[in-house]
Amino acid sequence: MTNKPNSAQPFGRRRFLQTTAAGVGGMALGSLFVPLVARAQTPELTMWWWGEQELPGLQAYVDESVAAYTAATVKPMLQDTAVVISQFQTAAAAGTPPDIQYLWNGIYHMESVWFGYLKPLNGLLSEDTLRASNPTVLSNFGGNTYRAGWYPLPMVWYYNKDLFDKAGLDADAPPKTWAELLDACDKLKTAGIEPLGGGMQDGYWAEWWMSHSFVQTLDTAGEAVELFIGDKDFNDPRYHEHWVRLEELRTLGFLNKDMPSLELYPGIDLVVAGKLGMGQSIGSRLPADSKATNGRIGSMVMPVFGKGKLAGKPIVDTQGLGIAEGSANPEAAAAFLEYLNTPERLEAFHKATGWLPSSSRFDADLIEDASVKAMWKAWGQSPNITNVTNLMPGQFYEQAAIPTGQQVVQGTLTGEQAGELAARVAQEWRDFNPDLVEKYQQWVVDLSK
Amino acid sequence: MKTGHSFKQAVLILACIVALLPSVFMILTALKSQEEYTFNKVGLPDALVGAHFWAILSDSPFFHWMLNSAILAFGAVVLGTLVSCTGAYAIARMEFRGRDTIFAISTSLMAVPPVVMIVPLFVLYTQLGLISTFSGAIVIYAGLITPFSVYLLTTFFRTVPQELFDAAVIDGANHHQILRHVVVPLSVPALLTLVVVNALFVWNDLLIAVIFLQEDGKRTLMAGISVFQGRYNNQIPLAMAGMVVASAPMVILYITFQRHFIRGLMAGAIK
Amino acid sequence: MTLSRKLTPYLYLAPMLALLAFVFGFSILRVFEFSFKMVRGIDGPWIGLRNYRLVLSQPLFWESVRHNLLLLLAIPAMVAIALLLSLLLYDRLRGWKIYRTILFFPYILAIPIIAVVMKQMFQFSGPVNEVLRWLSLDFMALDWIGSTDVALWTVMMLIIWRESALGVILFLSRLLSLDESVVEAARLDGANWWQRAWYVLIPQMRGVIEFYVVISVITMLSAVFAYIYMMGGGRGGPGTSTMVTELYIYNALTRSSLPGIASAVSVMLFVVSLALIYLLFVVRRRAGGEGA
Repeated sequence: MTNKPNSAQPFGRRRFLQTTAAGVGGMALGSLFVPLVARAQTPELTMWWWGEQELPGLQAYVDESVAAYTAATVKPMLQDTAVVISQFQTAAAAGTPPDIQYLWNGIYHMESVWFGYLKPLNGLLSEDTLRASNPTVLSNFGGNTYRAGWYPLPMVWYYNKDLFDKAGLDADAPPKTWAELLDACDKLKTAGIEPLGGGMQDGYWAEWWMSHSFVQTLDTAGEAVELFIGDKDFNDPRYHEHWVRLEELRTLGFLNKDMPSLELYPGIDLVVAGKLGMGQSIGSRLPADSKATNGRIGSMVMPVFGKGKLAGKPIVDTQGLGIAEGSANPEAAAAFLEYLNTPERLEAFHKATGWLPSSSRFDADLIEDASVKAMWKAWGQSPNITNVTNLMPGQFYEQAAIPTGQQVVQGTLTGEQAGELAARVAQEWRDFNPDLVEKYQQWVVDLSK
Repeated sequence: MKTGHSFKQAVLILACIVALLPSVFMILTALKSQEEYTFNKVGLPDALVGAHFWAILSDSPFFHWMLNSAILAFGAVVLGTLVSCTGAYAIARMEFRGRDTIFAISTSLMAVPPVVMIVPLFVLYTQLGLISTFSGAIVIYAGLITPFSVYLLTTFFRTVPQELFDAAVIDGANHHQILRHVVVPLSVPALLTLVVVNALFVWNDLLIAVIFLQEDGKRTLMAGISVFQGRYNNQIPLAMAGMVVASAPMVILYITFQRHFIRGLMAGAIK
Repeated sequence: MTLSRKLTPYLYLAPMLALLAFVFGFSILRVFEFSFKMVRGIDGPWIGLRNYRLVLSQPLFWESVRHNLLLLLAIPAMVAIALLLSLLLYDRLRGWKIYRTILFFPYILAIPIIAVVMKQMFQFSGPVNEVLRWLSLDFMALDWIGSTDVALWTVMMLIIWRESALGVILFLSRLLSLDESVVEAARLDGANWWQRAWYVLIPQMRGVIEFYVVISVITMLSAVFAYIYMMGGGRGGPGTSTMVTELYIYNALTRSSLPGIASAVSVMLFVVSLALIYLLFVVRRRAGGEGA
């Protein structure tokens, strides 16, 4: 989950709640009674979802869709951020899951897959719908896809066009290579502007740094997993180069001075307010930020230094919906998801939230703001990759992914030492969690395609 | 010595300034507009802005959170005090095998850090579906405040003169009546202190609240402050207004009931 | 005592015993049990001492312990400040009751509230640094919140600020209960303020001072969760510079989903706490002898 602000601080990324034995037992009992009950006139579906917290207007959209849908009676429930996963897993283990469940990308829902709580969607939704919704490769396991995409979270680098003008840079041609980036930073600094950065105190900036830069050194998402399971090593210069680059930005004095003590969102606000030249941000902010600055905020892909196949590609994370293995009526649930993916519903989504749905069937001409339209064209409608930090085990995320970025930016770790820390924590993760290592080893296969 | 006096006063005044500084900052910032705070962090507000307070008072979850905290404090204090009263009475005034051992163990439980209990209780509650329930959390809080309560009440009950007790027995009273009509009325000061200490403990707790009351509807004030700060970390004056509102109950109680408060807090420290 | 039926005491005890058995008894037994198992969710296989071995060989664990120990350095400062202020208040100069009310105020504010406020005050571009820079004390305008070298000391400052207030009240109430004639005699003998404090008052406060020190030690080792959680961004940051044992346990339980690991650390913390409590009883017995 990348979009933390405007929502409660996530209490914990995930929670393993039940042993699979208990889960299967509960499910078996539950499924005995279900066929009798399901013989009602219109099927009844429950849908647990999240997102009003990060996308105001979503609730209105859900209510409206449910009211308009006649083929089944859908009962939606907005979940609290802290329990999105745990509440579902508890219910699934007890045999009473909702039919449709909101799912964050990557490991956040993959563990539910490993516990047998989610149904593969490739049999239930049409292949066309599924593919158009961009569930991303991180929803695949064992050859099946477990989510349909709902709305996208493009991960972009913001730059302030007015500040670019002031520094003599081309506001319509932001830097594409690392050399160009350093040059741009230099010019900004000379013009008296802090070139690049944001807020690092709450740690998410460090995660985003990996989403953008770590991925440049990889050929496939599976390669990231190999680093966790031990087939590859963070001590290898190729895999900690992205921290070395961050170190470079620091030693050249290109990062804003209060980066370590500022938090993520106030840091992005610096770019919008014209106090910082460039910074990492999230696409769903763009409609508001573009409006506030009269379109003077630009989106760019992170300039390239890496030689992996994934370098230079726009990143789009996706929030999705899935169907529970214990659902009484998966076909009806799938039909509702198909309904949400009709062009009419996609347009309604845009009207209600001001944001975009995740399906390529959405008519991008409906977007009014030119900057948002341009961003979506370059991110959502072009070949894109997804956010590989969604793969990280929680222990690695907390003990390596976040602290490395924070300490490199401060100067207490060099890029190389960050690699050592990552390698050591990856090893600790393997030692502490041998059962997860097995699952990750299987996952590599799907992620390397 | 006059010079000595003014030096001492100066030190005390300096200490008072340090003690009050964060609160002053909090209030002044809450009265500034968002724009003003970006360039005027230190000085007095140019124009007093009440909008933030209005926003907090009219449309924020603070009051809901305070209500949750109050429910927990009330429930835990009632349960804990009842349980401790009867238990302390037994230990103080009855004879039975293992009495001193039980008292020793109960008292030593005061030393166990609550963090030690969270793993097994969390796992158990997850199994029983008690996470994010008031009753579940109240039981935990009541348990945590019981050792100290029993210790305090036992010590106090033991000071009740034996003659009063004997007189009541002669009048034909049983234990229940003695407890209700003799011991408890005499113990009101101790009980009041206990209520203050325990209620404060529950009100101020963060660890248990954050683990056992995760659902938005059940969130306590302390956990809510953490959430609130994360959500509004780019709107400092608004955040400060929230903090002022959040601290209001305790500050008002403190100023009104200083003496009881101080006594209660001191007793709590002895925990 | 003709009233006692055999059962009555136990009836009165039962609720208390039941509650304590559940919250403490069950938990302590279970936490020991879990510490020897690889727990996922609600249970797991027995793995003996593996959790302990993993934790004891993990640098992050030792870093957490080290930070707890570093926080102990706050205690001398707390004692000194509390002593000074309580002795000054004891003089009962004009308006001393107002001073007392104000000086206790830091302890009234709940930790999350004061942490949020401090976090803003000590931002790198925040008011404290602004004032320091204005006074040309730029070298003191550190990155209080964001620097891994400084962050723990910032938390410590917050702890000292708040916990000293408690010391003031404890010490003052002890002072107010002392027999004034001794101090009066010393004054008549020509002892100045400092001499009276050092030779007459402080020796009579030994019990309460030792008591305060011991409970502060216990606090630093096992009751700083709220400070760290609020100041460190919820994850012991920046980096891992404010990670402490309680947060380690919390993270192991909630973020890494490893109740077994969390239990092992909990057990170790429990054992250390018991040792300290024994120390506390020794101290209080001595304090009891002085009539505290």
